[in-house]
Amino acid sequence: MLQHFDPNKDYGTPARVSENLVTLNIDGVDVTVPEGTSVLRAAAEANINIPKLCASDNLEAFGSCRICAVEIEGRRGTPASCTTPAENGMSVTTQNNKLAKLRRNIMELYISDHPLDCLTCPSNGNCELQDVAGAVGLREVRYGFEGENHLDAKKDESNPYFTFDPSKCIVCSRCVRACEEVQGTFALTIDGRGFDSKVAAGQDDGFLASDCVSCGACVQACPTSTLMENSVIERGQPEHSVVTTCAYCGVGCSFKAEMKGTEVIRMVPFKDGEANRGHSCVKGRFAFGYATHNDRVTEPMIRDSIDQPWKKVSWEEAFSFAAGRIKDIQAKYGRESVGGITSSRCTNEETYLVQKLIRAAFGNNNTDTCARVCHSPTGYGLKTTLGESAGTQTFDSVMKADLVMVIGANPTAAHPVFGSRLKRRVREGAGLIIADPRTTELVKSPHIVADHHLKLRPGTNVAFINAMAHVVITEGLEDKDFIANRCDNTAYNKWREFISEERHAPEQTEDITGIPAAEIRSAARLFAAAPNAAIFYGLGVTEHSQGSSMVMGIANLALATGNIGREGVGVNPLRGQNNVQGSCDMGSFPHELPGYQHVADDAIRGRFEASWGVTLDNEPGLRIPNMFNSAIDGTFRGMYCQGEDIAQSDPNTNHVDQALRSLDCLIVQDIFLNETAKYAHVFLPGTSFLEKDGTFTNAERRINRVRQVMPPMPGMADWEVTMALSKALGYEMNYSHPSEIMDEIATLAPTFKGVSYERLEELGSIQWPCNDAAPEGTPTMHIENFPIGLGNFAITEYVATEERSNRKFPLLLTTGRILSQYNVGAQTRRTPNQAWHDEDVLDLHISDAEMRGINDGDWVGISSRAGDTVMRARITDKVQPGVVYTTFHHPGSGANVVTTDNSDWATNCPEYKVTAVQVVKVNSPSNWQQNYQNFDDQQQDFLKQGRESISQ
Amino acid sequence: MGNATLSSLIKMVNQIADNNVHVGTTDDAANAVASHITRFWARPMKQQINEYLNEGGEELNEIARQAVTQLQK
Ligand code: SF4
Ligand code: SF4
Ligand code: SF4
Ligand code: FES
Repeated sequence: MLQHFDPNKDYGTPARVSENLVTLNIDGVDVTVPEGTSVLRAAAEANINIPKLCASDNLEAFGSCRICAVEIEGRRGTPASCTTPAENGMSVTTQNNKLAKLRRNIMELYISDHPLDCLTCPSNGNCELQDVAGAVGLREVRYGFEGENHLDAKKDESNPYFTFDPSKCIVCSRCVRACEEVQGTFALTIDGRGFDSKVAAGQDDGFLASDCVSCGACVQACPTSTLMENSVIERGQPEHSVVTTCAYCGVGCSFKAEMKGTEVIRMVPFKDGEANRGHSCVKGRFAFGYATHNDRVTEPMIRDSIDQPWKKVSWEEAFSFAAGRIKDIQAKYGRESVGGITSSRCTNEETYLVQKLIRAAFGNNNTDTCARVCHSPTGYGLKTTLGESAGTQTFDSVMKADLVMVIGANPTAAHPVFGSRLKRRVREGAGLIIADPRTTELVKSPHIVADHHLKLRPGTNVAFINAMAHVVITEGLEDKDFIANRCDNTAYNKWREFISEERHAPEQTEDITGIPAAEIRSAARLFAAAPNAAIFYGLGVTEHSQGSSMVMGIANLALATGNIGREGVGVNPLRGQNNVQGSCDMGSFPHELPGYQHVADDAIRGRFEASWGVTLDNEPGLRIPNMFNSAIDGTFRGMYCQGEDIAQSDPNTNHVDQALRSLDCLIVQDIFLNETAKYAHVFLPGTSFLEKDGTFTNAERRINRVRQVMPPMPGMADWEVTMALSKALGYEMNYSHPSEIMDEIATLAPTFKGVSYERLEELGSIQWPCNDAAPEGTPTMHIENFPIGLGNFAITEYVATEERSNRKFPLLLTTGRILSQYNVGAQTRRTPNQAWHDEDVLDLHISDAEMRGINDGDWVGISSRAGDTVMRARITDKVQPGVVYTTFHHPGSGANVVTTDNSDWATNCPEYKVTAVQVVKVNSPSNWQQNYQNFDDQQQDFLKQGRESISQ
Repeated sequence: MGNATLSSLIKMVNQIADNNVHVGTTDDAANAVASHITRFWARPMKQQINEYLNEGGEELNEIARQAVTQLQK
């Protein structure tokens, strides 16, 4: 969408959407605004800036400070313009002597109670209180400056990122409202009355101990320096800013990186960011310090074997060493004996180049990406049913949903900004169904209660979704018109017959899923009856042996109820990493060229061959798990791995360890010596998102610019490194800027045809498909038809996973993420986010704990048929009896030592969410952990020797 | 060639078969499995499962066996 408003200006109250426009006169100027707009905002849109203190355009008006008072013809007194809606024919005066005096009096009161240490205040130069004092022309304070200065009030410095200094508080309650309205956490209150009132976090227990999730919305909302980033307190106000995109989760928040030279002072969520609308979470806003952490490796290194120390070398030597090894391997073991892995953390342009190097320079299709282990079933399932491997909506769309069903996702932890948006919609009255084995925050939290929590057993998703569809069809709740007009009727009739079979009835599946039949019936009726019902899902759907079937089951349900093709509905995968969508779009999968075009299609391949000037293989290549197996078998011997930590993130660590040790040449490109790099022979230093120029594509298919805010620390950008490696391998690529890479993508991937950096500058962001038919992109997919013409119902038979609890392994382990850490933790573990989660723990239900004599905090051994590890136990009622849960953010906790190599039948996405385990009380680390520690110590020592070696 | 790949391929093809049993007749199911392998499996994987079938393919379930047989045509 084109930018209508200045994102750097605060318009005082939120924009309103209405077809009815009203025209009023403000200071002699006619202004037309949508009905419901405040007088304050209407004036601001006409660039008549009424002073304000308690109002901000991301919060509903509160009317407490009265600085924004105006006169309105025919009305008595001086109403607050922020709480007064504009009306047709209104005549408003914003400036006259009476108003000026009134405003000065108010300011005088505020100032008399404020410590006037402006010159040494961290907000100096960027303080709304100062600005308003200036704007109202405050020249004297009749109550004297001897009023309470509160400088003895105790600061709350418990949060690692910001400080609360109550002496500066004007009790405008913007922070309280930001926490409620924007974030939805309700951690803050105003205690007391009048001059004694003050802001309190929780029961006045300090920010860190309260429910605060450190999103920073209150800090951003505060007009004074009461709530202030520590980085600003320490280093002063920033002097310039660059708009870029968060590199953590798939929400893809836009930020203004506020800088002092090449140093980031703070990240402020960008108001014009269409994914986040000015909000963020703790990771994106605060956890960027890893980028300049001492652990960064910024020089290329090589070694002959992983039993040797690293040796620092020049870039040229690193490239020629790497290329030489790869060529030797191929000469000896064949063209298909090497491959590579692209990363969903890297940009589209970087990812595109890596898969291009593999296909063109390695000469095979052995390319895969970490999306293999998270959302590959989404690609398969949605392409089969809806014709495109992507979610159907925008995040904004949820604001038009009447009912939201969240399946296997925990958005308030893993996609926090979307989680906040969803909570807001639920507070506005939308219904909510949660299908999850665990009791997540969305099931019950302040002002949120889900209508249904369908607490299913891990591994029974398909039985559950089939039961939902069974109720819809057998009770006649389907959308007959939508099915008749938009769906393939042969497929539908076949599916209808299948799903109507009695074995899918909730009464029959109750024993499988553990969800009472009546609850499923009631949830299905609620879903089908909603005018707009939207489904959001996460890795709890995909990371199963039937991940793809479940995605298709979800699409079936959406099609059957006509919930596709408009705002407020749809099938929405919540992508784990920032660029999962993009890495899939860019042709990272072994069977698909960029734009999801199959390698076996001669015409398509021919276009790539013409553009790249090489012959391409017409057979799919190996997927990550196939690469590992082939490595163990000795047929796969070389790998290029960019920005991805397979040694920690992939399941069955012992198996991955064996595979990586079998390689003759592992080239790792990363910012740290990550777990995978400990098995590498070539280390190519990579860059953080702050050093990158490129694009990320978020879960809404939104392509956002990533802009370089500081120069690449290793001296070369990642795309330049890939290009140089390719050249050393004998295949030259010539780009002088990432924009040229995007231009090439646009010529080869039809859904990207209209995308370029110029268009991104013009439009802000673009949701693909962007082509001649949709030159500004496609916010909502499938409005008139599907890329495959008609919607396709798929048969989704429930097949129980082989991973079942038994006498030896009686519990089911499921894994997930928490808010403060991100995936393998390589980034967040190197930030103060450690304050919230410095170790992975095992959650278990009290009954399972009691049976085993386990107390909260005890060390417990977790064993599965794949391996054993040891963690601390946490006793909770968030998991059901028989189910245990952990996170995988810390390598030493070895969560993936326990997970198995079971995987989705269609895509080999690992079954992280179901592992049969036993848990026992122990008092020493597992063998694996001891070996891991020894290996880590050795590799850290090799790195140290490498750093100290003299570059050759 | 070692065992890690082969044992995983057998497991994979059987699992694909189990998930396609209900798409229609046995022939339909075998077709679906064969087309899945054609579209998604790498050349060496196809070769290995073919060789395995030629050696008897004992652990393949019925639909998987029919699908792999079909691939050889
Ligand atoms: S940081 Fe976020 S969660 Fe914490 S008090 Fe502020 S607005 Fe609320
Ligand atoms: S802390 Fe800041 S936002 Fe909150 S009431 Fe005080 S001045 Fe207002
Ligand atoms: S981690 Fe996700 S929700 Fe948080 S700021 Fe980054 S993109 Fe936004
Ligand atoms: S800004 Fe309107 S009352 Fe405070």
